[in-house]
Amino acid sequence: MAENVINDNLSFSAEPIIEFRGVSKTYPTGTHALEDVNLRINKGEFVFVVGSSGAGKSTFMKLIMREEKPNTGVIKVNGFNLTKMASKQVPKLRRTMGMVFQDFRLINTMNVFNNVAFAMHVIGAGDAEIRREVPKALSAVGLGEKARSMPMQLSGGEQQRVGLARALVNAPDLIIADEPTGNVDPNMSYDIVTMLTEINKRGTTVIMVTHDHGLVHDFNHRVIMLDHGKIIADIPAGGDNV
Amino acid sequence: MKMRSVKYLVGEGFKSTWANRLMSLASIGVLVACMVLIGLAILITENVNLALGRLEQENTIMVYMKDYSWALYGRTEETEVKEDADENGISESDYVIHNEEEAKALCQKIADLPNVEAADYVSGEEGLDSVKKNMFEGQAQYFDFLNSEHGNPLSDAARVTMNDMSKFDETIESIKKIEGVDTIQSQGDLAEKIAGFKRGFALAAIWIIAILLVIALIIVSNTIRVTMYSRKLEISIMKAVGATNSFIRLPFVIEGIIIGIISAVLSEGILYFVYTLLSEKIATALGTNQLVPFSDMALIMLAISLLIGIFSGTLGSIIIISKYLRREGSEFSAI
Repeated sequence: MAENVINDNLSFSAEPIIEFRGVSKTYPTGTHALEDVNLRINKGEFVFVVGSSGAGKSTFMKLIMREEKPNTGVIKVNGFNLTKMASKQVPKLRRTMGMVFQDFRLINTMNVFNNVAFAMHVIGAGDAEIRREVPKALSAVGLGEKARSMPMQLSGGEQQRVGLARALVNAPDLIIADEPTGNVDPNMSYDIVTMLTEINKRGTTVIMVTHDHGLVHDFNHRVIMLDHGKIIADIPAGGDNV
Repeated sequence: MKMRSVKYLVGEGFKSTWANRLMSLASIGVLVACMVLIGLAILITENVNLALGRLEQENTIMVYMKDYSWALYGRTEETEVKEDADENGISESDYVIHNEEEAKALCQKIADLPNVEAADYVSGEEGLDSVKKNMFEGQAQYFDFLNSEHGNPLSDAARVTMNDMSKFDETIESIKKIEGVDTIQSQGDLAEKIAGFKRGFALAAIWIIAILLVIALIIVSNTIRVTMYSRKLEISIMKAVGATNSFIRLPFVIEGIIIGIISAVLSEGILYFVYTLLSEKIATALGTNQLVPFSDMALIMLAISLLIGIFSGTLGSIIIISKYLRREGSEFSAI
């Protein structure tokens, strides 16, 4: 069943941003995390990745970020062939992405502005550029007034929005959100996915791993369901999802 | 890496040293102790070398010449008396050095040899006076008797000092080969002992310094390791947004260097204080200050301390952070 859906997706005429062809990943411990996964995500898509614990979601994300390498198969992300890529090229790949973590990963000793600016310093941005772009990113997530606040003074939802601003500030082609609503209340969860949807509408591809079936249902984006390392369903946007 | 990134990372290095100031202070403390010990080892080596050098200078070598006295006191019943011999039976062809001029020329030949610092002419008369000073009265009278009856029993000589006593044997061999040289009087054993002691001392100093260097390296590495684990979160974010390994490494290297430089300056101050105090104590005890002045060594000591500090700081942090980035730091999705 899933194979048919995947094939349908592969027939899209749009340009792919992520391609998995026959990808399998087995860890040295013997755990088969992914088995013969084939999929294609096009530029500008919003994709939910769902599945229970151990389904292979984390491995799927790690493979996209080139934190792990597959044992077999080919992975292409944003024009990079990850299976042939030299380690030195990995930072270049990651600069085309923005990462949002479940645990926010904010540096508590830095204020909101500096937490976002940090991502720009890493890519060698100048001070003028940082002063221009960081307020824009903070405004985009509704935190323009909180630039001088410290992370501990913010609510969970606000902290996650800082994380979102940090992922956005370098204008990535792809945003990878690993359970971004896992540590925030339901209302804020809805707001965060709304923001991600807005970002997606402006052309950025979004891949979001989630356990929250309510959100998946409400937003009607494409859904990839993983189970025991295999794609068991790939439901296109607007389809009859969970 | 861009210049502005370097500027930013240097600032981060300073901030990190301050943020981890307790840990930084602890390692500065131990590093200072190491550097002071290294400094003391160097200063002691310098002073021992100076003292041994003085001892070497006092260990003079007397090179006696084949002059009239040599021929006179060297002749036996069997020695042939030539036609042009004088009343003592000595002919001019029986000896090599005939006058002061030739004796001084021989001194010059010795002085021109490699490793010879000086070769001063000592006439037979001077030699006799000097020898008599160290004699008992009876012995001195006997020498006076010999001198009045036959002539000075001591030949003209050259008082030789060497630059490097470890080359004692080959220098003596070269002197022996010069025409007109008779016997050489020296304390070869003492020279050998001094040279051996110097070698042994230098070797011990090198070992001590090497061990302390390794300790310094381990200390800095440990501080960096602690800093690094306390900054795991930052490293994971850096990796996620596409920081290169050298970008991640630089603040740690800067931190290591800062710790090294602070330790170097502090250890220089402590060394100055300790050494001055010791010099004064020794000067009071001996009535004379024979130690190398600290000012003579200050610059080189500071340079050595800085070198050790920067070396251990850089290497320590590079080793630790590279190891971390290879193993755990490559993961950022789970920290």
